[in-house]
Amino acid sequence: MKNSKKQKPVKSNKSLGARINRYKGFYIMFLPVFVFAIIFCYLPMLGIRYAFTNYNGIKTPSFTAFANFKKMFDMPGFWSAFTNTLQISIIKLVLTTFIAVVVSIFLNEIFNLRFKKVVQTIIYLPHFLSWVVTASLFSLILAPTAQGLVNSFLVSIGVVDSSKMIYFLGSSKWWRGAYYIINIWKETGWQTVIFMATLAGLNTELYEAASIDGAGRWGKMYYITFPALKNTILTVLILNLAKVMNLFESAFVLQNDAVLDTANVLETYIYYQSFNSGAIPNYGYTTAVGLFKSLVGCVLVLVCNHLSKKVREGRGIV
Amino acid sequence: MKKKFIAMLLAATMVFSLAGCGDKPNNDNQGGGSTPASDTTPADNNGGQGEATPEPAADEVEKPSEITILVDGTVFTEANGREQFIAKLQELTGIEKINVIQPDHDAYYDNVGQIIAGGDWPDVMILSSTYYSGYAAEGVLWDMTEAWENSELRQRQIAYDGAGVVEGMYIDGVLYGMPAARGNGCVTYVKQAWIDQYNGGKVPTNYAEYSEMCANFVANGKYAVSAAGFVGGEAPYINYLPEFYQDAYPSFYQKEDGTWADGFTEDSMKDALQRMADAYAAGWIDPTTLTNGTKDCRNKFFSDEFGVFTYWAGTWATNLKNGLANNGVDSELVALSPIAEVGTYLDRIPPVWCISSTCKNPEGVFKYFIEPMQDGGEVQFLWTYGVEGVHWSTAAETLYEGTEQEKVYEEGQFHGLDNLETPGSQYTKAHIDPALALVDLANDPADESRASENLASSTLFAQNSRLAVLVPTTDEMSQYNGDLTTLKNSLIAKVVMGEMSIDDAYAQFEADGGAKWSQMIVDSLNNR
Amino acid sequence: MKSKKKIPVFQIVNGLIFIILCLIILVPLWKVLVDSLDLRTAYGMKMWPEKFGFDGYAQIFSNKTLYRAILISVFTTVVGTLLALTLSTLGAYVLIQWEMPGRTFFANMLLFTMIFNGGMIPTYLVLKGLHLTNTLWVVILFPALNVYNLVLMRNFFEGIPASLYESATLDGCSPMQTFLRIVLPMSKAALASIGLMFAVSYWNDYTHYKLYILDSKLYNFQMKLRGMVMGSELPTVGGNATENTIKNAAIIIVIIPFMILYPMLQKYFVKGVNIGAVKE
Repeated sequence: MKNSKKQKPVKSNKSLGARINRYKGFYIMFLPVFVFAIIFCYLPMLGIRYAFTNYNGIKTPSFTAFANFKKMFDMPGFWSAFTNTLQISIIKLVLTTFIAVVVSIFLNEIFNLRFKKVVQTIIYLPHFLSWVVTASLFSLILAPTAQGLVNSFLVSIGVVDSSKMIYFLGSSKWWRGAYYIINIWKETGWQTVIFMATLAGLNTELYEAASIDGAGRWGKMYYITFPALKNTILTVLILNLAKVMNLFESAFVLQNDAVLDTANVLETYIYYQSFNSGAIPNYGYTTAVGLFKSLVGCVLVLVCNHLSKKVREGRGIV
Repeated sequence: MKKKFIAMLLAATMVFSLAGCGDKPNNDNQGGGSTPASDTTPADNNGGQGEATPEPAADEVEKPSEITILVDGTVFTEANGREQFIAKLQELTGIEKINVIQPDHDAYYDNVGQIIAGGDWPDVMILSSTYYSGYAAEGVLWDMTEAWENSELRQRQIAYDGAGVVEGMYIDGVLYGMPAARGNGCVTYVKQAWIDQYNGGKVPTNYAEYSEMCANFVANGKYAVSAAGFVGGEAPYINYLPEFYQDAYPSFYQKEDGTWADGFTEDSMKDALQRMADAYAAGWIDPTTLTNGTKDCRNKFFSDEFGVFTYWAGTWATNLKNGLANNGVDSELVALSPIAEVGTYLDRIPPVWCISSTCKNPEGVFKYFIEPMQDGGEVQFLWTYGVEGVHWSTAAETLYEGTEQEKVYEEGQFHGLDNLETPGSQYTKAHIDPALALVDLANDPADESRASENLASSTLFAQNSRLAVLVPTTDEMSQYNGDLTTLKNSLIAKVVMGEMSIDDAYAQFEADGGAKWSQMIVDSLNNR
Repeated sequence: MKSKKKIPVFQIVNGLIFIILCLIILVPLWKVLVDSLDLRTAYGMKMWPEKFGFDGYAQIFSNKTLYRAILISVFTTVVGTLLALTLSTLGAYVLIQWEMPGRTFFANMLLFTMIFNGGMIPTYLVLKGLHLTNTLWVVILFPALNVYNLVLMRNFFEGIPASLYESATLDGCSPMQTFLRIVLPMSKAALASIGLMFAVSYWNDYTHYKLYILDSKLYNFQMKLRGMVMGSELPTVGGNATENTIKNAAIIIVIIPFMILYPMLQKYFVKGVNIGAVKE
């Protein structure tokens, strides 16, 4: 790990042609990836031009310049959905990643391999439940009735009065907390897969050397395990920033009419807007929203990538 | 840094240089001709098109030899014997080849949008009311007014009181789609056992009695009523809690004088909100109504947590009964006549069969495909019950022999066969629900084959319902109705749950622009 | 916990914490399992089924069209995962050639695709123009290039000591040979974890099926089960298993393959890069 980082990109003195020639094998290897990117990403991307038109998939799109963006920015619900998205999405991302890292580090300390396997398998299972199913399970578990496990527990230890049970998913005050916890339940285990794989590549000699140097368990976790994950953590965080604005399904299935002021995110806002309008969706408008989200994601990624270069000795995440 | 910038620039240039030749894929599709993407099954030709008797019609309308139809999951799916169904349909209608495009039911309208955008429009498609009015306005649909008004189909529908439903589908005097049946709606079911035990056997007829019943139910245990949300997601929005809404309607409706209004802004809505808030505070309404899905409600009903459930009439009466029986709960249900204040239940706007405006022979498709669907005879029977030997039978046989649900049928007794996709259950109907038909079906075995509760609830519904009115689409509507509805729904939820007073809610409605949007939409509807 | 002698204490505490964690995670899943074996419908939580029976599972497996769907799932998952791994490893390997002219351009070009997309209709029109719609190719090829996974893969490749590349190049290996002989064998943990991520997404995929495949003969297992869970629009009567039982059985069936696969893959997570390095 260490030595690979030492070779910083050095400006070569050779001519461009010679350098290209030296790498020609690599260009050929990149060709399939290139072709896939062009066909499946860049060709459809031409559709971005619809953002500046009125297009419902039937008539030829008519150019409307920035009308779609104007409509979007003019709606009062838009800005609250926008800030909700950023807050919910980023807190969720940081929280789940952080917990996944902690869980991975402690999981890494388990000596008994069979126990480790069992734990790993169990904690990653919730990933396989669809969001719809997850939502129905948690609306039961968090229900403000005697059937809701959490409320019954709180009543039994005397924290909550049985006549004033908390409607976690139905009150603006509790909704976000419940939402984060459900996300942690569902995705932590899955996220540890990538961290555990990173730790598997760790040189055991490092630990031995540290032991000789007198480092304790916590010292080793802090000085060896965590730094080994640093690179992966940064990559995961930054890559996910690109998708921060896309938050939809998890919020959609868990929200309801009473909590929309804190729970409505951009994608669900747009969904309700077109679903409830009683008209054929204007794809131009949805494309404009998509483009706006992409631009926000782009800015976030570029900024964070720039910051991360300090940590990654001059290299960005890609 | 500079290098990075250049790289980004290059990437961007590439996108735009690609944009230059970008219209190609689209153009290819426009001129694509008729190569439908649908699967054509080899057995489609086995139907014996040779024997098809020519229709008696002697006018110039030509019978189409091949058509493509785009349908959702309400037509038999491939796993449910679609092949045999289409073969039989080809045989009976004499249309040599019927190509079926049947996307996944949940993604039907995404697929419709894509197929329409792709340019190869099918000849016929099923559309729900929203998409019906939308696509009609965009010129996708063929004007079938004349064809219908001069058709025998109309005479048959008039004879059976079904023509009104078709007239309800007119948009500005033009008809673009043909409903195959009524839209159906919800009736309120009450558990007989709960009535006997807690309400002295008394069936409520007005709101006072209804609230007394709720109070009695609650005094004896859990809540009385449950629903999936306080307001429905689609028209008619008041479907699931009609006794509390009564004459209130939270969206746009047409008054008797023909002008449009927004029910949310009227006093009747405030009264309804008060009733719901009181009922919620008193514990009559399920405390988790807000987060319930329809499946949650059904499961709670089956495990006997509540006693009053407003749900679909007809087939669902049987499903609810079976669900209760399966759970060992007394399965006797009373389908409530609408209480005095409710007056009538609401009949949903039905989905319609439309012909696309690019169809080469729309008159022929109407005459030989759409009309026979409601011919009152063989073809309608096929659309109602499916294919003999596949979906139904009259042979003497025993189904589910040796199991708990064993059923013995005599020779000549009509019965549904075992479901091909999920064995263990029987077919009850095909595309057309016999109880909702618009044309009288000759030799309909419904009365003998249908479970009594099914028949009772749909008869009750048919006698006590009025048609919901198709709300036309206007520009203002598509601009503002989305935000308006979201605002209304969140205010309703907050008032009912006691987080907000009614006055505050309407003040906020005003402040957030709801009143303004509502007025703009009403004006646009009135000035069309 | 402060001195080295107490290591077993740490192990026990750590183990206990994980046991509690697992139990918390299992509570909601337990409800699904119990409901899938219960012929009665229950809204609330139960410890055990009230009326035990396998009818929910039996009803699902008596569906004749399900076997073809399973084959399709296996086929698309295997082919798709192999293809996707090929693309990610090739791309990732090229992206660690820091001095290669155009590397930054290629990297940005890929990153760009992660952030921007053309929307539903244009994507459909392109796929239709390529005659991919309504074939299994669309569900295999379209999701195969995943930049997120490609970058993670590149991260793993970065960890391979550069000295190994240098010695391979000195031995006269071409880039492809180095890739096949050194990079891949040394990245088992990466291949296993990212391969797993691809496999899961291919196996669980239904969005591409519902948007791009119209012929239900080409549906995969996941689509079929969804159809059963969400309910076709033709209501039927009778049946031993309730709607709820079948739904929960379907949820369990989806989980099982990965409950089996994951422990099998874990040996690659334990042996890592450096064991390979020692062997070289």
